[in-house]
Amino acid sequence: MVIYKQTIVLYGSRVVVSHTPRVGTRLLVVLLGVAALVALLAGFVVSFVLKTPQAISGVSATSYDGVSIHLETVGAVQDAIDFPQPNNPHPTWVSYLPTTTLKVPANSVVTITIDQEDSASGLRNPYWSQAQGIIGGQFHMDYFDAQGNPQSGDFTKLDDASTPAHTFAIPDLGVFVPLLGISDAAPAGSINVITFSFRTGAAGIFHWQCFVPCGAGTIYGNGGPMQTLGYMGGFLVVQ
Amino acid sequence: MKSPNRTHALRLLIAWAVLSVIGVVLVMQIQFPPGDQSRQSADESSLLSLMAVLSTPVLVGVVLFILYAAFAFRQPAKALEDGPANYGNFRLQVAWIAITAVIVFVLAGIGITQLASASTSTDFSGTQLGTTSPVGGAGKSLQVQVIGQQWYFTYRYADYGGVESTHLILPVDANVVIHVTSTDVLHSFWAYQLGVKADANPGVDNVAYVTTMHTGSFTVRCAELCGIWHGNMSDTNGKVVSQTDFATWIAQLQKDNAALTLPPYAPAYFPSPKVKGT
Amino acid sequence: MATQVTDGGPAIIQTSERRIVIPTNILTAIVLAAVGYWAGVQLGESFGLNDGHNTGVLLGYSFASIMFLVGIGFASYPLARLFGWRVTPQPAGDDHTGVWRYLNLSLDHKVIGVQYLVAMLMAMLFGGIGAMLIRTNLLSPDQSVIAPDQYLTLVSMHSVMMVFVASAAIVGPFGNFFVPYMIGTNRMAFPRLEALSFWLVPPAIVILLAAPIFGGFQTGWTGYTPLSEQADQGFDSYIVGFTLIGLALVVSGVNMLTTIIRLRAPGMTWTRLPIFVWGVFSASILGTFAAPILAAALVMQAFDRTMNTTFFISSAGGSPYLWENLFWFFGHPEVYIFILPAFGIVLELLPHFARKPLWGYKTAVVGLLGVTLLSWFVWQHHLFMSGVAPAIRPFFMFSTEMISIPTGIVFLVAFGTLWRARISMSVPMLFCLGFLFNFLIGGLSGVFLSDVPSDVTLHGSYFSMAHFHFTIVGGEIFAIIAAIYYWFPKMTGRMLNQTLGKIHFWWMMIAFNLAFMPLFAAGLLDMPRRVSTYAVDLQTLNDWVSVWAYILFASMLFFAFNVIWSWFFTFKVAPANPWQVRSIEWMLPTPLGRRNFETIPVFTGPPYDYGNPNAKPVADLGGPSDSGRRGLGAEPVPS
Repeated sequence: MVIYKQTIVLYGSRVVVSHTPRVGTRLLVVLLGVAALVALLAGFVVSFVLKTPQAISGVSATSYDGVSIHLETVGAVQDAIDFPQPNNPHPTWVSYLPTTTLKVPANSVVTITIDQEDSASGLRNPYWSQAQGIIGGQFHMDYFDAQGNPQSGDFTKLDDASTPAHTFAIPDLGVFVPLLGISDAAPAGSINVITFSFRTGAAGIFHWQCFVPCGAGTIYGNGGPMQTLGYMGGFLVVQ
Repeated sequence: MKSPNRTHALRLLIAWAVLSVIGVVLVMQIQFPPGDQSRQSADESSLLSLMAVLSTPVLVGVVLFILYAAFAFRQPAKALEDGPANYGNFRLQVAWIAITAVIVFVLAGIGITQLASASTSTDFSGTQLGTTSPVGGAGKSLQVQVIGQQWYFTYRYADYGGVESTHLILPVDANVVIHVTSTDVLHSFWAYQLGVKADANPGVDNVAYVTTMHTGSFTVRCAELCGIWHGNMSDTNGKVVSQTDFATWIAQLQKDNAALTLPPYAPAYFPSPKVKGT
Repeated sequence: MATQVTDGGPAIIQTSERRIVIPTNILTAIVLAAVGYWAGVQLGESFGLNDGHNTGVLLGYSFASIMFLVGIGFASYPLARLFGWRVTPQPAGDDHTGVWRYLNLSLDHKVIGVQYLVAMLMAMLFGGIGAMLIRTNLLSPDQSVIAPDQYLTLVSMHSVMMVFVASAAIVGPFGNFFVPYMIGTNRMAFPRLEALSFWLVPPAIVILLAAPIFGGFQTGWTGYTPLSEQADQGFDSYIVGFTLIGLALVVSGVNMLTTIIRLRAPGMTWTRLPIFVWGVFSASILGTFAAPILAAALVMQAFDRTMNTTFFISSAGGSPYLWENLFWFFGHPEVYIFILPAFGIVLELLPHFARKPLWGYKTAVVGLLGVTLLSWFVWQHHLFMSGVAPAIRPFFMFSTEMISIPTGIVFLVAFGTLWRARISMSVPMLFCLGFLFNFLIGGLSGVFLSDVPSDVTLHGSYFSMAHFHFTIVGGEIFAIIAAIYYWFPKMTGRMLNQTLGKIHFWWMMIAFNLAFMPLFAAGLLDMPRRVSTYAVDLQTLNDWVSVWAYILFASMLFFAFNVIWSWFFTFKVAPANPWQVRSIEWMLPTPLGRRNFETIPVFTGPPYDYGNPNAKPVADLGGPSDSGRRGLGAEPVPS
């Protein structure tokens, strides 16, 4: 073992300190430090990587060549009826349920049924009140009108741009569908059921989102759930 | 005996001249984007090419000098001699500063001239907003509004009753005035092949000019971070089409839009709610 | 009665001889920070407006930072003075020895330099991990590894963390450690401010790292409104963290400027000032005057988030342009805070390793000060596409291109120094030459970006991203590493392993260039910055970049291994002057004494007088017998 002398000058008085370096102790301390740092970094990494929501696959339809997907839109996750989410970290956020990663087959018809339970927020760009890119150009809707009466019918657009609660839009596929909000006159617990179909093309991953600034409480309504994967937007995985 | 200064300098100068010429010739072979779909993009391509050509001798010179110094002026390992005590050369310093200044002035001159010509050499004054006009007629220009929203660009044609579309379709050989605005956060409208980039600001009408030259498709992207779907905010289906195709397309768009109640065309659309927390 | 207090306690003694001991140390600081955070959140939640809990988080962070500083010991002295307690002159940390000394408040500039160095390397590691995650996600365009919101949080945290590092990693470690030696003083002008400038950094880093807990922030380091106004409480980390770094820049700048102006030893004239000190000096000017603008703008953002003000909200009378201008009015001087001390390092090291005087010293100083001056007049080149008045753009285009004149001077001085030199090709020199190459690429690409018509295509694309990585990583980080290899023996008493150092240089230089050079092409081929997905045909290019980025990161781990190995497991004390150079710090023994100079030195010659047979020694250090010569700055470290 090498013994060396270290000189420390302390305010004019010279103090000679000599000691034997304890390599084992030093190694242990350094290794522990490195291990702690690596653990910290690993935690940091994992916190980012593991935040992708679960995926659901479209259910194969029996009557036609394609799949169907059932979704629910709620004003607050805690009010979910079809897909309760007891452990969601943001129980008061507006959301699509049960998840926002949708897997569908390529070159087939996808039918989406949405139980819409949220009240209207209104579109900022009224252009999106027109349905686009869906089969037949029409969506079917069982809904409650402004007087609170149950109605049913096929629509190409919503007449009043202030009535949608959300939109279901896959911009890269040209699919834009407005989802009518529950009118104030409708009985409590009402659900508007919107059904539409679109055709998928080649395989790929497309993002879908809502165009209604529905993340209330944050400036311009586009914060929180609108900007967090798993609430008001996600991926359409075409395989 | 020749001075070592002169020997080194001569070697460097010759090597620099030869390599620069080779470098410039090579760089001139590169076809710089964004291409020539519009007059603006052609200008940008040629400017990028010009800058690459101008910077090649600089690059060659500096790299050559570093390498030359590293090999020629290196001292053997373990040796420790001092170099000549040379504290500077006033003339050389003045010359260097003068040369860099001249290069800077030339570059700035080119840039400023091009910048000025981009909006003055063509008459973009065109029509008033909202009035129908023949496309590309003398002194007429097409007014198109780009609305950035989280997370898609839509386009309104002021001259055709403010009809709105999800893709940007432009006629060829037309002067186009692009008004960029946003309904929420900042976006940046980047039509790559058209050589246009302009930020979309809420409440602001940011104007850019395009003179289309060739038909073809172009890509639109968002070049300013705008939130979670910023990377997906792109559209590869922008098109420059012939004037007749454009007329057909816009007529169809007007028909599609007929049933819609869009707000009146305006230079900007303030988002609602206007105040946070409501 | 004894006036000395127990271990770790500050020297605060009440005149009544009743002992009040507040054990100020790092543990107290952490506990008090936690208490402060809790109190801030409670207070904010009790009166905060309907703002998404931002008041609570902002106050929590602020109180935590303040209490951390109190716990570390910054309040002891003012409080003691306030209440009339007797105060011993020596601050708490300097009674300690060993590692503990570095974990506590110390007013010794040498300790602060080492503290800064370690903190900056840690922060760089976190920023680097962020970069690796970013590159992992970009391995494929299908966004399958990291969710896009998390990805943007990563981008933002990587950028802000690296901006923290870049703005303090030269002036912090090397400025604090070596400026007092180089100008011949035993102390900084304001040792407490100096210590404060360091102790503001750990809270800033921790607060920034806390952002993902609150949903992160997806705004990038620019924090543009209104996007930032949409962000969750994660953005409060940006506000408080950046404010703390801004304060650190101001505080350190004031201290540095005063020290350099007032505490130079006899004979240390302005024309003998080492060029590194000039670099620190000019960066300090920028830090002192630019950072307050950032702090003020961040306070405005905080008000927008908590008090329903609308400074930056256009629909309610504010303007996002206000933020853009305030931010970049700080932001562009900020990038010269990064690079000016790096110029200083490279120009300092070149003469020592070329063994020639610095060629055109005065011109070099003019160059550095020219950059300092011009950097105030270029900020709007970040806003060329933003819709600012078109008539203003030629001016900023011109002023931006003007900066290449003083930058060109730096290159001229470097070349003049290298001309017919006797280059000793050691590791610091290799990194300096690497700097020259990388910064050249960064500078030339900057000219492409400065011209408005070409900027139309390049702005906000990967081209600009590659540009500033070449200047900051290829430039500043290379200079920092050169400085670490150069000064490590003096700072720690151990040489870094030179063979590993040479491997590190080539590894890093090649990996860096192969990783970042293709990004220029990505930008020219239509790839915007900060995207989590991209065009499918760019995948090969991005995969290439990612792989080389991993290799680059591995080179930094290799460097970290070299540092740890040489520092802790090499037991050979480095020679006092391993490089055989003239600068005064190498005239002192290794390891350095706690006190810089027994007697204040008298500078007798310039530091770069190589090859001159009539050269005078740099300084007359005097001797122990020379005790009569106690001049400026000779007093012991003050209270």
